[in-house]
Amino acid sequence: MSFFGFEQNNDLENEKRRFLEGGLSGAKQEDVAVYTWGEENYDGLGDALLEGGDELNDETFGATGDIGKDFDFSGTALPEHEKAAPSQSAHLPQTGQSQQQPSQPSQKASHLESPHSSQLDAIWGNKSPFSVLPRSNGSSRAVDQLATQSPKYTHKPASLNLGPDLHKGVHTLEEIEKEMLAAAAAQHRLQQQQQQQQQQQQADEHSLQRELQQLQLQEQMLHQQHQPASPNLLQSPTRAHAQRPPVGIQHTATPPPRMHPHSQSPRFHQQQQQHQIHLLQMQQQQQQQQRQLLELQEQRERQQRQQLLQLQEQLKLEELERQQQQHRLQQQQLQEQQYIQNHLIHQRGISPALSDLHHRGLSPAMGERARRVGRQSPAVMTPQVPLDVPFAQNMQYLPQNIQMQQRLLAEMAQAEFLSTMQGPGHSERDAREARELQEMLRVEAMRKIMEAERMEEKRKRKLDKIAHMSRYNDLMTQSDKDFITRIQVSQLVTQDPYADDFYAQVYGAILRSRMGIATSEDRVLRFGSGGGVGLGLGQKVPGRRQSAMQRMEAQVERIVNNARLREKEKTSLNNLQGALGRTSGRSYKAAPRQLLQVDTSNASTSPTTSHVTAAHISKADSTKQEGEGAAREAAKMGREALAVATEGLVRREPLTHRETLVKLEHLYDLVLDVEQRRRDQPPPEEVEEFEQWTTECNAIIDQIFDELMVSEPLETSKPHPFVSLITPIKGKKLLPRVARIFELQRMQVLLTLIVACFLQLDVVTQAPLLDTLEETREVKELEAQTQAFQNSVVQSILPVIAKAQMRLVVGLFGILLDECTIQTLVMTRPGIALLTLFFSRVEVLRHNVATGSEVEELPTPEEMQRWHMMYNLLFDMLRPHLQLLFPSVRLALQANTTFVNIPNADVMDQPVWQFLATLAVHANEEQQQALVTGLREIVLENVATATKGWGNDSEERRRLRLANVNIFLHALGLDSSQITL
Amino acid sequence: MDASSSGIQEPFDLIRLSLSERVFVKLRGDRELTGVLHAYDGHMNLILSDVEETIMIVDQVEGAPEGHATVNVAKRKMEMLFVRGDGVILVSPPSRT
Repeated sequence: MSFFGFEQNNDLENEKRRFLEGGLSGAKQEDVAVYTWGEENYDGLGDALLEGGDELNDETFGATGDIGKDFDFSGTALPEHEKAAPSQSAHLPQTGQSQQQPSQPSQKASHLESPHSSQLDAIWGNKSPFSVLPRSNGSSRAVDQLATQSPKYTHKPASLNLGPDLHKGVHTLEEIEKEMLAAAAAQHRLQQQQQQQQQQQQADEHSLQRELQQLQLQEQMLHQQHQPASPNLLQSPTRAHAQRPPVGIQHTATPPPRMHPHSQSPRFHQQQQQHQIHLLQMQQQQQQQQRQLLELQEQRERQQRQQLLQLQEQLKLEELERQQQQHRLQQQQLQEQQYIQNHLIHQRGISPALSDLHHRGLSPAMGERARRVGRQSPAVMTPQVPLDVPFAQNMQYLPQNIQMQQRLLAEMAQAEFLSTMQGPGHSERDAREARELQEMLRVEAMRKIMEAERMEEKRKRKLDKIAHMSRYNDLMTQSDKDFITRIQVSQLVTQDPYADDFYAQVYGAILRSRMGIATSEDRVLRFGSGGGVGLGLGQKVPGRRQSAMQRMEAQVERIVNNARLREKEKTSLNNLQGALGRTSGRSYKAAPRQLLQVDTSNASTSPTTSHVTAAHISKADSTKQEGEGAAREAAKMGREALAVATEGLVRREPLTHRETLVKLEHLYDLVLDVEQRRRDQPPPEEVEEFEQWTTECNAIIDQIFDELMVSEPLETSKPHPFVSLITPIKGKKLLPRVARIFELQRMQVLLTLIVACFLQLDVVTQAPLLDTLEETREVKELEAQTQAFQNSVVQSILPVIAKAQMRLVVGLFGILLDECTIQTLVMTRPGIALLTLFFSRVEVLRHNVATGSEVEELPTPEEMQRWHMMYNLLFDMLRPHLQLLFPSVRLALQANTTFVNIPNADVMDQPVWQFLATLAVHANEEQQQALVTGLREIVLENVATATKGWGNDSEERRRLRLANVNIFLHALGLDSSQITL
Repeated sequence: MDASSSGIQEPFDLIRLSLSERVFVKLRGDRELTGVLHAYDGHMNLILSDVEETIMIVDQVEGAPEGHATVNVAKRKMEMLFVRGDGVILVSPPSRT
């Protein structure tokens, strides 16, 4: 290489290569004209060129004018070319250009008639995958490549017809037409043709040499002093190529014999870049003076001779090949049209199977050539796609699918060929069958091919995706990951993992017990004294997830332990050893405000306070509150001592709603704490721990009892604080949980308080609101409250009443009779429920007396006496309002309709029927009579509607209605069936 | 009653008092809710049951003067609702008569 101007006198090799390329003697090359703008020996004539006014020069720079059919290679008719080529060559001597035409028509002609043509045909017909593969160097291979490449230029032949060729081509074409008209000199033509062919080959080789030379010149250009006006014409062949303007008709009209004055010199057989420049030069000449150009060319030639002498074999093989290819591209320009439009089909005869395949792929009908062409593989029919790359080396970069397609096509062709071979000489039917079979095979093959392609595509996509994602591989180091894990874990660690994970833990325990796995231990990861992580539900399926969980557990434990160790080190005095002066425990930078602040002092007392950050209603607060409350009460006491000195109790305002809520929240905390402690009950064998646990539990239970304010005197306020506490739904719902903790004695106190304050209860005072058919929010709210009372409060006092002795029942009943107006009570559902409970209990007790069982609970005769007295009193109170006990009746009175029309009446009335039944059980004959007469109307109505279906009621409702009535009638020893309407 | 005696130390304590009580929630986008509060968290995400949502739709009538928009009220009811905390403007106990 002589990139740096070093010359390599490697004549031998140069000669050898030239010989190998079939080149001519080096003497001819010496005459090749070279443009030497920018080179040392440039004569500066380029500067004299008239460069101005180019924008108006349409012929040179524009694309105007009708170029004519001569250049329309994309759609020319073949015969014209076939005729044109010989005539051109025949005409050439007349114009004095006979030696210098590597012109395209002649090239085409020569190729058509030369033995090369078959080779080229073979290329066109070559459907083997290798036809598109890059080839090794070598002229024949290069030709092959060009043959496949060249179709790229079919759609833009004008732009690729390089200048001089074009010019000559145009020239000869015109001449050809003349010749055609003359129809003479056929023999001479043939002779000329052969001559031309020879010349052409020479030109090829020369052009190669020229190209080498040219490149050499370009490399040396920097060292050369003569700067032309338009250096880039030479600097880059490709650029010159691009700048080459469309050559118009003008040139055809005025053939320039003076363009190459040394007409006999072989240097006229130049490579195409050189011709391009020639053309440009020529155009300039036409605009300027001929003399100038001649001088320039002479100069150029001189320079070239010098350069040629210097030129050595320095270029790589690729470069050489490229030159050849470029040259042959032009040869192809004319050929390809024939190939595509005409010869292509014939040439495919070389690979008949394939052509047949194409044919079949089109349609079963034979001989449709046009469509056959239409179905050619993309590599053949749309060559510009793969052949966009000008060099054969680049063929290896073609999309793989084209290769594959071709390979597949070849395979298919082979299969087809085999199948056709199998059945020669068969009958028409056999042939058809064979064709069908082939068709089937083809379809099958096609399907498989498509499938394979799809799979390949899929796999590729997957790989691409993986590759895409793997960009982020190893972005995080292990310590990064650990850091993030620490952050995440720190959010999970709490003082009371069980309570924080409460619902999952309980649900998991239920699930485990249901599945029969007896694991009583909590799914909680605890760290020493305080803190831990709830692990949620137990993992049922062992596998990857479980191992991940175990890893997480181990990691969490490690992290927490490390943190604790660090903390210990920090707090220990050891780290102060050797520290001089003041040591700051913590710098503010190092210790940002902690997001998660777990109050350790609170954790032991209450599970909820530890995890709810809002749980500031802590013990300390409440004691403080109590202290203040005590002080205030003391003050109040002082005031009241003046007014009501005789009373020994402290009167105070009823609890406000918010006070109630605050107290309730605290009560819930306490209850939850006790429940948690009961779960954490130590085994009784560990006496010490057990005792401590018991005392702690009892202390909390005592606190709960105190805070429920059950033992406050009745007159403390109205409503009583306890009533206030059970006014909210959550207060009512607290009672069953408290009832589980309290022993019976405390519950009896509670029951007594409830009975005593029964009229203060919201569900009793507001009960009349329920006697409406409207569905307002208040009604719904009250309904919900009543429901909660029945389900929670009544259910929690039910066992207490069920165990109550006669004395207590009579006492409580007495409270009701004394304190409350029975009329109000019996119109409420809670009242009815309570009275029913009492009557039931008394009935049980009386039954016990009769049977003599449960001796220790036997009521004394005095108690029984008292009971009867009270019952009679109650009965007398109820007697005038018996019908009004029914909610449906009350509703019917409001709505001016009969009670049977009240929707859902039977469900509403059921408790009343039950109550009346218990009432009837205790009634004597006279009272029973009174009951029957008082309720006769309703009973009859119910029975009638139930049995005869008057009210359009559903079967279920009628049955319920009848059952209701029967509850009552059975208590009297009657049945609804005895009633005749 | 002052804050210390009621044990209220931070705003969330007030919300805690309303647990399982009916609350009024004002939301962004001219929406209001009333429902029974079952749970909340530090983001003021709420779980409400028996919810009634009220949506105010302000219609600016064409040609009407500024500020004379008509307000349409749309209501809907839901049994259970998760309210995302970022939409919550206000949580309060409903006004008591």
